[in-house]
Amino acid sequence: MFTTFFYLLRQVGIPVSPTSFLRLQRALSMGLITSIDDFYTAARSILVKSERYFDLYDQVFAHRFEGAELKEPEEFELSQVAHAMLEEWLKDPKAMADALGIDEESLNRLSPEELLQYFLDRLKEQTEEHHGGSKWIGTGGTSPVGHSGYHPGGMRVGGVSRNKSAVKVAMDRRYRDYSQEGPLTQAQIGEALKRLRNMVPTGPKDLVNIDETIYQTMKNAGEIEIVFERSLKDRLKVILAIDNGGWSMDPYIEMVQTLFNYARSQFKELKTFFFHNTIYDNIWEDPPRFKKPYPVSELARRDPETRFIIVGDASMAPYELMATDGSIHIEERSTLPSYERLRFIADTFRHSAWLNPKMSSEWPYTRTITMIREIFPMFELTIDGLEKMVAHLMSDN
Amino acid sequence: MTQENNTNMKFTGASKYVLDEELAKIVNITMALEMPLLLKGEPGTGKTMLAHAISEALGMKLIVLNVKSSMKLVDALYQYDTLTRLNDSRFGDSKRDVSNIEEYIKMGKIGQSFVSEERVILLIDEIDKADTDFQDDMLDVLDQMEFDIIEIDKTVRAKKRPVIIITSNAKKDLSDPFLGRCNFHHIAFPEPDMMREILKVHFPHISKDLLDSSIRAFYKMREFRSIEKKPATRELINWIRALQADPDFNVKQLIKGDLPYLGVLFKKSPDYAIARNAAARMRI
Repeated sequence: MFTTFFYLLRQVGIPVSPTSFLRLQRALSMGLITSIDDFYTAARSILVKSERYFDLYDQVFAHRFEGAELKEPEEFELSQVAHAMLEEWLKDPKAMADALGIDEESLNRLSPEELLQYFLDRLKEQTEEHHGGSKWIGTGGTSPVGHSGYHPGGMRVGGVSRNKSAVKVAMDRRYRDYSQEGPLTQAQIGEALKRLRNMVPTGPKDLVNIDETIYQTMKNAGEIEIVFERSLKDRLKVILAIDNGGWSMDPYIEMVQTLFNYARSQFKELKTFFFHNTIYDNIWEDPPRFKKPYPVSELARRDPETRFIIVGDASMAPYELMATDGSIHIEERSTLPSYERLRFIADTFRHSAWLNPKMSSEWPYTRTITMIREIFPMFELTIDGLEKMVAHLMSDN
Repeated sequence: MTQENNTNMKFTGASKYVLDEELAKIVNITMALEMPLLLKGEPGTGKTMLAHAISEALGMKLIVLNVKSSMKLVDALYQYDTLTRLNDSRFGDSKRDVSNIEEYIKMGKIGQSFVSEERVILLIDEIDKADTDFQDDMLDVLDQMEFDIIEIDKTVRAKKRPVIIITSNAKKDLSDPFLGRCNFHHIAFPEPDMMREILKVHFPHISKDLLDSSIRAFYKMREFRSIEKKPATRELINWIRALQADPDFNVKQLIKGDLPYLGVLFKKSPDYAIARNAAARMRI
């Protein structure tokens, strides 16, 4: 009877291994579990190996055993659902529809905030696929929300960004949680990341290893043989800032994910932050970039010897980098241009680098890459690039 | 308690440890399944204390392996005491047989838990400090319940499978094969109600005023912005101890927002400075 539960857990993305499931069966057959409460705690401790999945587990458990419905996502979570649905519908945008909306004029004057609200409202109302027209979301049409529509100062929702500088992106991919496992299939990247292992500081060989000295001396039949070792140095602290937003990073996300998975166990301290396109007043500790903002100015309080690595394609509209209020996120206002913020980071951490998934041959064609390269040394997200980056971060200058 | 009924024993808490029901179930099921239990959680949530509490409650011996970053697996298993052997061979004043290497093998912490005649509790503390290879190799040993002593070509097998508790500070994720072999529990930071119970265990005669206001102040102080190391249960207990020891201290001070001995709670100097500032502006 629990097999469906097992598959349900796997379905929602909790990595449950068959072995652990068998172990749960064993616990059941041993008569250790006598009530549903017992089952809840036992199954969780046996099957779920990370607190990240506890919330999901709770939902699945309630759904399976208490008959509760899986909770409808609300508010900000709706944007995820909305985006997933939209992606489905907007895959094949039709040509611009002729139909004009009755309220087009008034919608033209809506502020971005109001537009976002309008968008979500329409989404809640919408029950079927719809192309054209002026109220429902679909492809074409002149309603200010929708893909490939025309709207002065409107938002882009879904679809492929044309020049990678949409005026306002309404929907973020907040559900891409990098802290979860990614497929480690790219053998080449796996190989490349082993080079990160070189990011270990080495001290001079000036420490006498007494045990080894005695051992070797005895092997030498009493002839003294002194063995020196490298003195231990503390492992590095690393801050990783990942661009996890928008569509321009989309093709590289798997690569970044691999890098991220590998990097976790490498350092004394690894702090990961997220941003979209470039860094303004805040970076975020949570991948959806929503709940836990971290002021960039606070970075000054961290150890200046920390290695600061930024992963991003550095491709955006120039104003996003240079203007005071450059963020494409309507909720994110900034006091300084991003360019100044990046400079501040580079000044704070003398060992910093920017990893770019774009190949270096493409760099000269994007203005913002050139501008960012003036601040950070930039490296390709390839085996060679990583090797160079590690060498750069480990050098004393 | 005798060791025969060890397997039927149930853990229900100890004198200085407040156990929540969920954790008790997990501990019991883990012991019955003979699997290691991996405990994660913020510092100060009582991960290490749990092992001590189980040991006290069930009357089992506790062996603690404090993991260090430079540690090699063999250190935890056994040591070949070459120095004593050299000494013996030169001066020959001991009763040991120099030609018998086995007399110079000393068991490490894991080794001790294997050769013990009684079922013991093995606490492997702060596993996340060691590197991944150490973790995986160690799990192999704990899985097989045996290891080889290379010098004398002998296999040590566990006489009684120890109860294994592993703690991790959640800074790093452990590897998948490691997680696959453990039961897992994450201890959340205690809620104020739970904290009240914990404090009552430690301070049976504490006044209600002091209990109320110190807990309220404590949880407010945990919310201070940009603190690097938040004060945990241990700090709170020490703080209350400090407050009680001060003859001039009056509970009304806390209610007014005058918080003495912040240094007990905030141990890093930048944290302390921030806390001083924030506390001056705080009202409870």
